[in-house]
Amino acid sequence: MRRIAKLGALAAVLAAAGAASLHAWPIGRPVALESIAGDAARGAYLARMSGCIACHTNAENGGAPLAGGVKLPTDFGTFHSPNLTTDTVNGIGGWSIQEFSKAVRQGVSPDGEPYYPAFPYPFYSRFSDQDIADLWAAFRTVPAVAEAAPEQELRFPFSFRPALKAWRAMFLDTGPLEPREDKSEAWNRGRFIVRGPAHCGACHTPRNLLGARQAEFALHGAEGLPDGGKSPPITKAKLEERGWTVSNLAYALRSGITPGGDVFGGSMGEVVRDGTSFLSDDDLRAIAIYLLDKDGPNEP
Amino acid sequence: MKIQKIIGAGAIGLASIVAAYAHGGATGIVKERMEAMGTMSDVVKALSAMMRGETAYNADAVRDGAETIRRHAGEALTGLFPEGSGGEPSEAKAEVWSNWDEFSALAAQLETLSEGLGLAADNGLMSGSGGQAQGGMMGGGTGMMGSANTMMGGTAPMMGRGGSFDAAVLAAMPADGVFNMIAQSCSACHTKFRLEKN
Repeated sequence: MRRIAKLGALAAVLAAAGAASLHAWPIGRPVALESIAGDAARGAYLARMSGCIACHTNAENGGAPLAGGVKLPTDFGTFHSPNLTTDTVNGIGGWSIQEFSKAVRQGVSPDGEPYYPAFPYPFYSRFSDQDIADLWAAFRTVPAVAEAAPEQELRFPFSFRPALKAWRAMFLDTGPLEPREDKSEAWNRGRFIVRGPAHCGACHTPRNLLGARQAEFALHGAEGLPDGGKSPPITKAKLEERGWTVSNLAYALRSGITPGGDVFGGSMGEVVRDGTSFLSDDDLRAIAIYLLDKDGPNEP
Repeated sequence: MKIQKIIGAGAIGLASIVAAYAHGGATGIVKERMEAMGTMSDVVKALSAMMRGETAYNADAVRDGAETIRRHAGEALTGLFPEGSGGEPSEAKAEVWSNWDEFSALAAQLETLSEGLGLAADNGLMSGSGGQAQGGMMGGGTGMMGSANTMMGGTAPMMGRGGSFDAAVLAAMPADGVFNMIAQSCSACHTKFRLEKN
């Protein structure tokens, strides 16, 4: 009995030490973004593409643009999207561009805390410094809303935020994509959009028990999405099997209309409404070209 | 002669089996509304090819298609969703009944929009040359990226839930513009009220 108690105590000490060292483990890299002029219009376009507006605007309940408060129920608990307006207390008005960059591309808050990957920063890590400067310029134009978004409601053990550092070490694969010289400009643009800002894989790639995307099943479709729905596979083989072409896929991302005459519902209805319907014809075509190419999403 | 009849009957039989399978074994009112949706879907498929300039624009076909949708919209649509007709194999979410006002507002919106499309049929496409016109009303391309205001824009004005449209105003619009508004209306309703089963 005493031995078991001792073991228990030892385990508790080790767990505490582990937790303490996770607390102390610094993450993220410094960034230098001095003197890059940002283009707010281009940034607003990227924000559309990235879903910032869709996820951080509680349109359903008449919330102000980017003031947050959208609920995202998951297996790990319920997330609430934060306020991204220029309010200095409740929003990001007090941030520097460096802090913004670290948050968006590295998933690390100004306090050095890791964000939950419900925020798709692994995708946003593909952004260039210029993209970040443009986004930041756009976010600086958002009117302040003095409204605090609700606290995250995560279940234990997921509520222990420092554990995310271990998650990051295990699963995180970030950074810009090196352009493929053997591929067209449109293909490279499509790859950037799909694997970057548009974060298609956030819903179309199945996740493991810890919520990390399974690279070997990239874009194979997934079940148990936050809205309770399923996402279809969007690999070349499956898309072709279901009658998709570059032309009708680009059109569907603009209009929501599928080749069969159905109109998207579920999360994809929102993605089109708040995101892809605003993209240029060239960008929609680039997405379709990449997805339907033999070296598309299955590239190593 | 006879053999053709048999083949014909076989084909019809097979088609109905396929149809039943496609509708997940639905019967009664659930089957009826799935078929009504299928009818509208056929119209959308045919007209979208025209709106994109893949097939030649035909004002009569647009008018006919719009009329078909109109006949299936509004109360004709909501009448197919009596209380208690949800659950397997239906794809209707419980929200249809818990949020009936919004559901029926969207159905009414579809009725007005399809009436408007019929009236706008003679206006043709926005650019007058097919392909270029696609997505005009959907805020595609430079329009929405032209200014930083986009960041404050929220959702597109056309998506106003249960918003009221005036058929007379729609009648003055390019047909593809009204058609895209119909698609937005379909999508708004599917997003809210349809279970995605794929």
